[in-house]
Amino acid sequence: MTAILKAEQLEKTYRVGKVNVHALRGVSLAVEEGDFVAVMGPSGCGKSTMLHLLGGLLTPTGGRIVIDGEDLTAASDAKRTDIRRRKIGFVFQRFNLFPTLTAEGNLRLAERIHANGADDPDRRRAILRLLRLEDKMHHKPLELSGGEQQRLALARAVVNRPAIVLADEPTGNLDTENSTIVLKMFQELNDRFNQTIIMITHNPEAAAACRRTIQMRDGHIVES
Amino acid sequence: MDSLVTSNILQRPLRSIISVIGVALGVALVMLFTGLARGMSNDLQRRSSNVRGEIIFTRPGSIQFMSSATNLSTKYLEPLRQIEGVENVTPVIRYIYASGAIGIDQVEGVEWSDFARMNGIRIVQGRGPQQSDEVIIDETKAKRNHPLGSSMKIFGDKLYRVVGIYAPESGARAKVTLASLEETLEAPDKCTYILVKVKNPADQVAVAQRIDRELPGNKVQFTRDVFASVESSIPNLGIFLRVLVGLAAIISALVVMLAMYTTITERTREIGILKAMGASRRYIISEIEREALLISAMGLVVGFGLAAAAGLFIHKATSLIFEFGWGWALAAAAIGLLGGAIGAFYPAVKAANLDPVNALAYE
Repeated sequence: MTAILKAEQLEKTYRVGKVNVHALRGVSLAVEEGDFVAVMGPSGCGKSTMLHLLGGLLTPTGGRIVIDGEDLTAASDAKRTDIRRRKIGFVFQRFNLFPTLTAEGNLRLAERIHANGADDPDRRRAILRLLRLEDKMHHKPLELSGGEQQRLALARAVVNRPAIVLADEPTGNLDTENSTIVLKMFQELNDRFNQTIIMITHNPEAAAACRRTIQMRDGHIVES
Repeated sequence: MDSLVTSNILQRPLRSIISVIGVALGVALVMLFTGLARGMSNDLQRRSSNVRGEIIFTRPGSIQFMSSATNLSTKYLEPLRQIEGVENVTPVIRYIYASGAIGIDQVEGVEWSDFARMNGIRIVQGRGPQQSDEVIIDETKAKRNHPLGSSMKIFGDKLYRVVGIYAPESGARAKVTLASLEETLEAPDKCTYILVKVKNPADQVAVAQRIDRELPGNKVQFTRDVFASVESSIPNLGIFLRVLVGLAAIISALVVMLAMYTTITERTREIGILKAMGASRRYIISEIEREALLISAMGLVVGFGLAAAAGLFIHKATSLIFEFGWGWALAAAAIGLLGGAIGAFYPAVKAANLDPVNALAYE
């Protein structure tokens, strides 16, 4: 198996007023292709910071991240954006869809950002079918249920075939029934398409759906 | 609408409408002011081109763009006729008065038969003025609700009856008898200028020099110089127009900048999402610039429509004439679009430089 993501001695320190806050204190992690990893831990333990670092939204204070053979930490801001565009798909707790665009429009926007002017209606339709949203193609996010919105966010994250999907508490805003449906979708993507997924969650049932679980505490990985 | 640009514009209709109106006002201002200057200038040149007398003999300072004096004695008529090369002479009183709410107008007092013969003017309807309360007008003025037989006010409440309509347009659109204006202005045997027709137009310079030599202390001018364009008659009008165009550009840019700045603040979170999806700085800037350009383009269309409608309305309500030119229309279009693009640039760069994590956390 190949490590599609490798993080070595990741450190992140924030400056809050005159105080340094150490959010991550030397985190090392390797995720293999096709893995489905849950990241758990109490609030403030550094889960989200780690996810943002892995996704190139933040730069680490120390350490190194390599994604699919490309060194994220050595890259310039523009290069990091480029790696994010090609290799990473994000799913957020609050869905973060564009409310003025339809379901298909949200996917098309992701395609356009991924590759200038790309337009693949068959691919969009296939993804929406896979996530049981084909009949909601022309609906706007506010016309969809919470579960449907999160499935649409997942569809947007995978429409460009990223190397890794990073999900930040994707079931945090959903009821039990919708959580189960969304988790099933994640599992299906992982099983059928060997999609690598790293998912932050507070929910043990969600973590149980993953292949392995990482426990974090005070900026460290305490169990892997 | 599955374009982020168009859907954003439709999503916030009030903001979009205000922005469009802001750009439209800038464009309409440019079009109206330049259209007015061009219309007045062309109208003046059209009418002066039909004045066939080549030389104007007057007193220094008697003829200004917005005023004229009646201080030239008609005793010069005979000496002028005697000068070699002069074919004919005719006296003219030019009187400028306020007309309507914002316009000005002028009337000329002439000896109709001499004036019409010298300038090749023919009567289309009716006859020339003979009595002190009669006026003859050109076809353009007649079309503005002044048919033959109607009355019109020239001096306060004094009514003049339209007894004739002439063509082609030449000098002032309304002409009364010289005696009528002499009496009204209490200037017997006086006029504003004497129009001189030379026997051979090619000799007009030599004739003018002869007049100046034989009747010193007066002013001898060529008709083509006196009735020049509005731009040359009003000092610094060109600079005024350019300043106005500059102000319009600044207004357009500020309106778009304010609108885009507001929209960036409103959409901070969406910009964070775009960044998380891998949108480059250039992509974010181009999306915001496209939105600003679309708003500006709509502003252009509305602005041109507004200018055309306002020009038509003002023309109907007053005697002001608007002639819109392609050159200024292109300038207004460039101002609207460039103003929009420049105005949106700072907010666009600001958005592109947002920290993605902070933007995603924005409430």
